[in-house]
Amino acid sequence: MAIRASILDELRRIVGPAGYLDQPSDIEPYTIDHRRLYRGATPLVLRPQSTEEVSRILRLCNEERIGVVPIGGNTSYCGGATPSADGNQIVVSLARMRRIRSIDPDNFTLIAEAGCVLQEVQEAAAAVDRLFPLSLGSEGSCQLGGNLSTNAGGTAVLRYGMMRDLVLGLEVVLPDGRIWDGLSQLRKDNTGYDLRNLFIGAEGTLGIITAASCKLFSRPRELITAFAAVADPSAAVTLLSRLRAATGDAVSTFELIPRFGLDLVIRHVPGTSDPFDEAHSWYVLTEVSSARTDSELREIIERELFAAIENGTVRDAVIAQNEAQREAFWRLRESIPEGQRLEGASIKHDISVPTSALPRFIEEASAMLNSLVPDARILPYGHLGDGNLHFNLSVPVGGDAAQFMARAGQIHSAMYDLVARYGGSFSAEHGIGQLKRTELARYKHPVALEVMRAIKQTLDPNGIMNPGKVL
Amino acid sequence: MSKILVALKRVVDANIRVRVKPDGSGVATEGVKMSINPFDEIALEEALRIKEKGAAAEVVVASVGPDDAQQQLRTGLAMGADRAIHVRADQPIEPLAVARVLLKLIEREQPKIVLLGKQAIDDDNNQTGQMLAALWNRPQATFASKVELSGDTARVSREVDTGLETIEIDLPAVITTDLRLNEPRYVKLPEIMKAKKKPLETLALDELGVDITPQFKVLNYAPPPARQKGIMVKDVAELVATLKQRGLL
Ligand SMILES: Cc1cc2nc3c(=O)[nH]c(=O)nc-3n(C[C@H](O)[C@H](O)[C@H](O)COP(=O)(O)OP(=O)(O)OC[C@H]3O[C@@H](n4cnc5c(N)ncnc54)[C@H](O)[C@@H]3O)c2cc1C
Repeated sequence: MAIRASILDELRRIVGPAGYLDQPSDIEPYTIDHRRLYRGATPLVLRPQSTEEVSRILRLCNEERIGVVPIGGNTSYCGGATPSADGNQIVVSLARMRRIRSIDPDNFTLIAEAGCVLQEVQEAAAAVDRLFPLSLGSEGSCQLGGNLSTNAGGTAVLRYGMMRDLVLGLEVVLPDGRIWDGLSQLRKDNTGYDLRNLFIGAEGTLGIITAASCKLFSRPRELITAFAAVADPSAAVTLLSRLRAATGDAVSTFELIPRFGLDLVIRHVPGTSDPFDEAHSWYVLTEVSSARTDSELREIIERELFAAIENGTVRDAVIAQNEAQREAFWRLRESIPEGQRLEGASIKHDISVPTSALPRFIEEASAMLNSLVPDARILPYGHLGDGNLHFNLSVPVGGDAAQFMARAGQIHSAMYDLVARYGGSFSAEHGIGQLKRTELARYKHPVALEVMRAIKQTLDPNGIMNPGKVL
Repeated sequence: MSKILVALKRVVDANIRVRVKPDGSGVATEGVKMSINPFDEIALEEALRIKEKGAAAEVVVASVGPDDAQQQLRTGLAMGADRAIHVRADQPIEPLAVARVLLKLIEREQPKIVLLGKQAIDDDNNQTGQMLAALWNRPQATFASKVELSGDTARVSREVDTGLETIEIDLPAVITTDLRLNEPRYVKLPEIMKAKKKPLETLALDELGVDITPQFKVLNYAPPPARQKGIMVKDVAELVATLKQRGLL
């Protein structure tokens, strides 16, 4: 049922003239997801400026049983922030709530509003000589609220953990409009259930996060970035273990890149080039850091890589000598999605298994995929250090895109069944949204699903929060 | 056969945003990433390519600076230089003094070419190469974007306001490098290990008997004015209205 005009007016009044968008051209960007998998519709995008306004919006929507879709930077990979196509849901953007409320360098914490762009949070920390370690390809546009709601991962999880590990407290508006002020700055607080972890990763289905208290770390002074050609994924896993042990767990990034990934980047992304003279089958990008300036890390890395070259597990390696080279190495890794997009149709997975099982998994999964689509070009790349790979396929050379994409369902099932056999996850960091609900129902433990539904029912009995997502 | 001498300066990395010390006495360098001045890195790359083509027998890198400048010299050795000379100077030293030091090294090493960056990105002086050529009384080719050697001459393309100028100079000579001359190579691990064993000689400034008396005094360092924060407008109409109101349209 379409939302009554009088209610839309009331919602507009809550946020004032500068706080909403209702012209089709203004609304359009809020109705298409980043991957362009979904196209929704909405009569109204609200842009509240305060927690109080968010509270009044949710109270009204709860009374009137109107679905609410929270949106951050709209970089979700699973259509999590896109409203349904019937136009019966309103969108709430946090973009105008972007204050850093406070920063406490000696407590190593900061309190920021949900609409802060991730990069702004990183910069606020850097300004007081601290590090906020969450780092993703989308950091220039995704928002803290989106990072929290998707429990984002990224390229420093190995050292600092996922978003969940970087939070001490939250401020949340519940579906009925009540405000939970849980902005604790405590590292120790054993007083009952950990509510904060309910909202982190809930993808906007339990309430709207309006602010968070985040952990900070010492800013690294020494940063060593190496790009190495390795014999195979198994050599990569061995190298990671050695580097972790030798540096005292100072490895913050360890990314696996197959030759096909590097090919795509060099072919499609201007200004990129192969760091080596010869082609190799597999590469890793690794970064090690320390807040000490006198650190011997550089020597340790050089020694370990050299030993690995001598014993044949590493084929060749380069170490960035300046920031420009460091950025060039990172660009090779971060341009892979772009390269794959420009290469043509692709089928994607975001899976995780224990790191130690990855080499065997890559072999088995590749063989399985190639038996399903013989000429598909397989691209397993990403966060090897976290056991998380983006295990993608590109359409065969000269192959028909539509025919290839028609196989997606069958390929996903085969892939996720295999992942399940390895005790892995079918969605390691990108969440469920509207893309992977069937998989959630199929692979999640039935008891876990029951508890999730019970929680949803208790907090949001009218089902107004992000309907059609996750459960 | 002939030698090439390359000068390398240790500077704050080109991609790091520099901060002025609160008392205005200079730029903060504590805990800041330092690298080879990018123009000098290009100079070294060019020297290595000349040597790899067989037109030079040895590449010597030299740096005037604090003990930490040895890190940049080691990087230079890892890129492929054969030897390094570190002239220790803890105080900041001006282009003329650096040119005098380099002249002493020229007298010792007798290079066919001295290659260096057209300027260092920290002080942007763009003087050392020119001063060195004058003191040495040899030709100079500055802002090189292409270098071709034949026998005892070099043909050098220079980027000037009106386009590309090509000149021919007699060697020995000083050549300073521009950004488009080449793209420096990455440093490979086996080369890094080899570089640890290459000779790096340290000289004290007074051993060279060079006058380094500063010729000018820096009064103050100040950061550029901070950019004003933007404002958000709701639509095109508001944008136009605001621009008009500020007299920008
Ligand atoms: C180039 C690129 C690289 C990426 N790399 C990574 C990566 O390495 N690791 C990774 O984990 N993800 C990655 N992502 C996915 C995405 O960037 C993250 O999931 C990000 O955390 C989403 O933030 P956002 O602000 O864009 O959220 P949106 O896309 O706007 O929303 C995501 C979900 O959160 C909900 N939500 C948003 N804000 C709130 C709020 N304040 N309260 C309640 N719910 C809210 C939305 O309803 C939706 O369900 C990448 C995406 C891109 C485009």
